[in-house]
Amino acid sequence: MYHVKQADIVIIGSGAAGTMSAIYAHRVDPKLKVVVLDKSKMDSSGGAGRGMDALNTVALPPYSQPEDVVELLTKVTEGILDQKVAHRFGEICPRMVADLEQIMGRGKGDLFPVDADGNYKLMYLQPINKPLLLPMDGEEMKRALAHAVRQTGAEILERTPALRIITEGGKVCGVLAMNIRTGHYYYIKTKAVCLTTGAAGRMGLASSGYLAGTYEFPGCSGDGYAMAYEAGAELVNMECFQANTLLKDHQGPSCGYVAAPRGAYTINPWNERTWSHGYSSGDSKMGAWKKFAEGKGPIYLKMDHLPEEMIQIIEKIQWGNERTSRGLFHKGRKQDYRQAHSVELAFAEEIGVCGGHSSSGVLSDVQGATNVPGLYVAGDVDGGLPQSYLGGALAMGGLIGEEAAHFAGGVAEPPQRSGLKAWLRQEAQAIEEPLRREGGLPTSLVEYKARTRVQYYLKPPKNPAFMEKAAWWMERIRQEDLPRIQAVDFHDLLKVQEIKSILTVGEMMARASLFRDESRWGYQHWRADLPAKSPEWDRTWVVIKQGADGRMEASKRLAPEYEWDYPTAMEYAYPELKFDTGPMFEKGPEWKNPAGDPWMKAHLDDQGMSTPRRFMPKVED
Amino acid sequence: MSVVNGVRYGEKDFSWLDFDHDRCVRCGICVDMCPMDVLHFGEHGYPYMRYRDDCWYCDVCTFVCPRQAITLTDVPYLIR
Repeated sequence: MYHVKQADIVIIGSGAAGTMSAIYAHRVDPKLKVVVLDKSKMDSSGGAGRGMDALNTVALPPYSQPEDVVELLTKVTEGILDQKVAHRFGEICPRMVADLEQIMGRGKGDLFPVDADGNYKLMYLQPINKPLLLPMDGEEMKRALAHAVRQTGAEILERTPALRIITEGGKVCGVLAMNIRTGHYYYIKTKAVCLTTGAAGRMGLASSGYLAGTYEFPGCSGDGYAMAYEAGAELVNMECFQANTLLKDHQGPSCGYVAAPRGAYTINPWNERTWSHGYSSGDSKMGAWKKFAEGKGPIYLKMDHLPEEMIQIIEKIQWGNERTSRGLFHKGRKQDYRQAHSVELAFAEEIGVCGGHSSSGVLSDVQGATNVPGLYVAGDVDGGLPQSYLGGALAMGGLIGEEAAHFAGGVAEPPQRSGLKAWLRQEAQAIEEPLRREGGLPTSLVEYKARTRVQYYLKPPKNPAFMEKAAWWMERIRQEDLPRIQAVDFHDLLKVQEIKSILTVGEMMARASLFRDESRWGYQHWRADLPAKSPEWDRTWVVIKQGADGRMEASKRLAPEYEWDYPTAMEYAYPELKFDTGPMFEKGPEWKNPAGDPWMKAHLDDQGMSTPRRFMPKVED
Repeated sequence: MSVVNGVRYGEKDFSWLDFDHDRCVRCGICVDMCPMDVLHFGEHGYPYMRYRDDCWYCDVCTFVCPRQAITLTDVPYLIR
């Protein structure tokens, strides 16, 4: 069944950013028709579906100022950013925090800690000497945000992932979506789209082999990256990989951002610290890599030196918020926070990309606008604001809701597509091809293949040969396996779309890594063949976009001039990879075989390439 | 029945969620709230893990059940 709808704004993805977009768009103009699409359920979708324990990076005076956010992001991105976007985020943090308290119905000092003067009390985490982390008791955040969105009167289509962003004359004009429970299709004509689909977090497969064993919410399979790309948007920092230190196999946050500000740190079996701070930037990842490369893993989260009261506080947060199954997991593995070498961590088990945790995504400006008129981005799919975590998703999600509302109010109705129903039927036919296929490849098998190749070939340290291989594999699976894939129902059909996104994003990661011919961001873009930063790449993005011929193109783009003079480098060094493996077996002068092989040549001449069938089982009569 | 890699499993086979049918009133809140669309109505209208291997072990279902009828008994086999 096909449904055609009309909207002013379509919000794709109702995680933290998308829900705030809907709330803020309604504030600008309650008469606007807003449609919210989510492949999941708004109340529980996304990384914060079961709550969140902190806003990792926020500017809240008097403890921190917007300039402190600029300082941090300038440093951890090593100068590859638009500082104005970072500053704008810092400016709107107080508004976002106050709004969140109001939306969740939580008074001051309840949702967030405050000091004796009533100021939000921030903690130190990041590698600058400013406190920017605001703890949060936010278990019910998503359900509260969903309730607020419903109160706006927006039309909410859940279990209905967007499949395409449609453009006309280079401008946004519609969105195609499909319900995975009913198989109904929706074409929504719209003036603007807020793209808030989260990270590409279902990329490299962790060694557990469990497909849904991801750090990011598994629904975040890079669909937004792929849809924006196909709509003509530009993406940046796709070579700055996310490679986290996580609970081994569980893949939940370790959680350095809960435990580290409260005194925990990461050690190896010899009690050596992996790095000086627990923030997940490229320098600290180099420290974790080093321990494994030296054969000095595994690594652990050390908490046994903390007072019992603090350990219980960490347990309450870790087991009651965000990834609550951590408690059950620890119990099953007999892991105890009171023992030094107990809570095992894994490093870089799943290579992916993300704006909020790293820097990768659709390029946006200070309004969250992309190069495609009418397309706005925020949250983990946004490459314009790096490493802003949940705070960035909430604040900038709200901002793009406002901006999209202003934009939609100022443009005419989108042009009517001629032959819309016929086009929809044609699209649906193509999308549903795997449903009609019999004896095809199961979706899980193809996803397994794609994600193991991503992990093997893209994992740093990188070199051009590995990156070329990764791109080759993405294309091979696209050409050979997708035409053979079979889906058993509409839920499974979504997997086909997600695998396509994984392949597109995997190719972006490979091509961007090839194009940036230097190393930067510590482990995140470490080219073993070029293990140093090059001044030619200072303040310069790699921009990925679809070329006129449909092929992926990479180009250089200078980021805007800095307005604030802060350090553009982290403290680390790329190691020289020269391992002494000792003297090899030395061949003596007698160690010599003839140049030709007349014995095998005779067989070849006699038999050709066939194999004689000499001893064969007899068939009983 | 659930389908994993083309193999059909019974509703309770290899499930790491336990649904207490004495407590469950088949209200469907867990089916509605599961973020990965894992839970569906099965035999006699009770919820079960139809798409078991999409489970993110997020614990939403146990938290939102108004009757405390669901228990996350373990994390998925491959990560436990």
